[in-house]
Amino acid sequence: MERLRILVLMALRSLGGHKIKGLIVGSLLAFGTFLFVMGTTMLENIERAMEASITKSITGHIQLVSKKAVDRLTFFGPEASSEQDIGVLEDFARIREVASEVPGVRAVVPMGRYYGQPILNTELDEAIEALEEAFAEGDAARIEDRIGKVRRMTATLREDFERVMALSREDDAENEKALAALERVTSEEFWTSLREEPEEGLQFLSFEIAKLSDDESMIYIPFIGTDLHHYAESFVHFEMVQGEMPPPGTRGILMSQAAYDMHLKNRPARALDRIHEAKTLDGRTIADDPVLQDLVSRLGEMTAQVTMHLGPRASASLDEELRKRFPEVEGDLDDRLAAFFELDDENFAERYEFFQKEIVPQIPLYRVPVGSTFTLRSMTKSGYPKAVNVKLWGTFRFKSLERSDLASAYSLIDLASFRDLLGLMTAEKRRELDAIREEIEVAEIDVDDVEAFLFGEDPVIEVASADSDLDLDARLESLDRAEAETPDTFDPAEIEKGTILNAAIVIENPRAVGEVVTRLQEVFDREGLEVRALPWTAVTGIIGQLVVVLRAILYVLIGIIFIVALVIINNSMVMATMDRIGEIGTMRAIGAGRRFVLALFLLETLVLGFFASALGALGATALLAFLGQTGIHTHQPFFIFLFGGTALHPEIDLANVLWGFVVIVVISVLSTLYPARLAAKVAPVVAMQGKE
Amino acid sequence: MSPIVSVENVVKEYPLGKLSVRALDGVTVSFGEGEFAAIAAPSGAGKTTLLNLIGCVDVPTSGVVRIDGQSTSDLNDAGLTALRLHKLGFIFQSFNLIAVLDVFQNVEFPLLLQGGMTKKEREQRVREIVEQVGLEKQIRQRPNELSGGQRQRVAIARALVTRPRIVLADEPTANLDSTTGTNIIELMKEINRKARTTFIFSTHDPKVIDQAERVIRMADGRIVGEESRLSEGAA
Repeated sequence: MERLRILVLMALRSLGGHKIKGLIVGSLLAFGTFLFVMGTTMLENIERAMEASITKSITGHIQLVSKKAVDRLTFFGPEASSEQDIGVLEDFARIREVASEVPGVRAVVPMGRYYGQPILNTELDEAIEALEEAFAEGDAARIEDRIGKVRRMTATLREDFERVMALSREDDAENEKALAALERVTSEEFWTSLREEPEEGLQFLSFEIAKLSDDESMIYIPFIGTDLHHYAESFVHFEMVQGEMPPPGTRGILMSQAAYDMHLKNRPARALDRIHEAKTLDGRTIADDPVLQDLVSRLGEMTAQVTMHLGPRASASLDEELRKRFPEVEGDLDDRLAAFFELDDENFAERYEFFQKEIVPQIPLYRVPVGSTFTLRSMTKSGYPKAVNVKLWGTFRFKSLERSDLASAYSLIDLASFRDLLGLMTAEKRRELDAIREEIEVAEIDVDDVEAFLFGEDPVIEVASADSDLDLDARLESLDRAEAETPDTFDPAEIEKGTILNAAIVIENPRAVGEVVTRLQEVFDREGLEVRALPWTAVTGIIGQLVVVLRAILYVLIGIIFIVALVIINNSMVMATMDRIGEIGTMRAIGAGRRFVLALFLLETLVLGFFASALGALGATALLAFLGQTGIHTHQPFFIFLFGGTALHPEIDLANVLWGFVVIVVISVLSTLYPARLAAKVAPVVAMQGKE
Repeated sequence: MSPIVSVENVVKEYPLGKLSVRALDGVTVSFGEGEFAAIAAPSGAGKTTLLNLIGCVDVPTSGVVRIDGQSTSDLNDAGLTALRLHKLGFIFQSFNLIAVLDVFQNVEFPLLLQGGMTKKEREQRVREIVEQVGLEKQIRQRPNELSGGQRQRVAIARALVTRPRIVLADEPTANLDSTTGTNIIELMKEINRKARTTFIFSTHDPKVIDQAERVIRMADGRIVGEESRLSEGAA
């Protein structure tokens, strides 16, 4: 004990005497500990936050897929696509029943990813429809308002046409005909006669003019087919933004607010929102940001998207206001609006506010308003076009992930519509098919064959019994007719019995994913179900591997620092040993043993390592505690996803602090082993030769 | 009276490439308790080698070195270390103080290595000896704050603090001016008189040689002469 005290005393004195060396090595050790504690703690927090982002919004903790899956189910990243062949799970109700009995399972949610294209009326279609309605109602003011709209749109359309034709310089009979039609509807006489005799004029508008307006590019909406109520209950990040949940057993779609904004919002309004967000949330400026500059320049071309929606009164009042603002601008409202859209960092805030207050209430903000029904078209898995009408019940978001890329990844659609779009079987249809199969003794019949039979040119169903008097065509067509009628409601219990693509499982304890996966797999195998359970990390593609990559980078970084520390400490201790040969020799000569010297050197670094690493750990803990209070804030979508929101409040894990401390102390001792042995070998006779 | 140090027919060779250099060539000499002896020789005659063997920092190639009856050839490194710690004190030509320790700590160091004393006992012993060498005012100073003579006094205090039987001094005045050197020798002599500690020092300084009671002369690794200056304390 006394000896240890002396050693510690000597080590401290020696450290005090070699301050520069102590400072260099100490700083290195302190920095190493700091980095280790910060790095591992941040990483764990990000991992937890990201896990929550994903598992509480889309994937759940475990995904169930068919064992016959050819591709690996992937939700995010380049390989995530509805083209993936992940097979099907035949009877969801049975799977849920089996899975629910496994301890730790909280919810089993049916799923399937697919995409659809909304078939939308063009804006002109809608304006003409509205005009028809106005005539039907017979409200003179409304009729005038809507005539104004259609006239404005057709005028714009004519301008566009003339521009296109001037550019192409080709004689095209179709275009000539179209232009003639447009000339007619932009004449005063057309509208005078329309007011007197609406029928003929409206028909002309519907059949000859509406088709001339082509719409924006195709919109693809990726969606997850699921039990909407079950989804909303099981995924805690889910929350409604607009509208309402469809009543149980009702068809419908819930769009993610981000996708709704991105695809269906009025384009100039959307562009203004994007500039507003970039300026207020990210601190970007129009002056410095080429993306914003591009948006501003494109706004100038989007004026029609505002003006064509304005009725005569709204149009006149806006024109008056804009004339006051831009007295020098000649031309019409579009020219003045284009001047209004010449935005810079100075005028943006005021003009954005004006747009929201004065213009937004006058235009339809979304092409499909919440509560309306639209047609969603898709290709079935076997390659036939399929369309269903779905009501847009509302929009949702994933809590605190509004600005993350995750937010717009998927919309949600009811299982019945989902199956229709994919051409998947409901239990009822399968029973019917089974019945047909039995009656006609078809060797093998599946949904692809039915579709091929119905839509394809070559029927592929082999009828085993040729003399069957059954009218197969009629039966199969009736099967299709049932589908085509698409009733608005369905039996929620019945729908569960059908086929799905995959299923999400939410568990009680997120830390027990591995255990529950094993238990589930055992049960599925025992029950003879062709189901494979996968942890969420296996289905998140590139995103799930992000943490692994981050962790690898951190460990490599820490590893490099450790190796550098090891080398530097080793070198500086070897040099210190060389410097101290005389001192060591003297100690040896006056009675210090080899073990004393060895222990002294080890203890010196141990003491240094102890204090430096404690300092580093303390520094990291203090910074983490501070960050835990203030949070690390971000507006970058990528970091919002990583942080599970706009702020990450790191929690300190004492284990990481202790680990960092211990690892660095061990490293410091390890790096001193060689120099210490070297020192212990110094012979006492050196004292007789050396200088002080 | 049996000698406290006896060197019997000692040969010491150092390897030098493929050859070996014979630094000591059949040296036989002994020292009694309380002697104040000088080994006088020009450089390279083997006096430091002889002192190293007596000081147990080296062992002979052949022959026997006995310290207080114990042959050094029979001891391992730990045994030699213990012998140095408990029976010997060293005074070096270059003082060899530990730079990071102050005067008190330097003098205290051998006591710490020995152990077995309370802090209070240690402090008392250190203060006593520091006072004896006249450095009580400098007790908290570091070696680099002291003059050469003061440093050698610290070295003497460190060599004496464990109350060794033998103190070995290798050219203790070589790095000092002559007045200081004389003072140091006088201090050593005074301690020798009071405590009857055996002092063996090597030197080639005639003024220092004059102070010795017994002078052993060496040349080419051999003892070539011996003279006794005073009757008292001589073997």
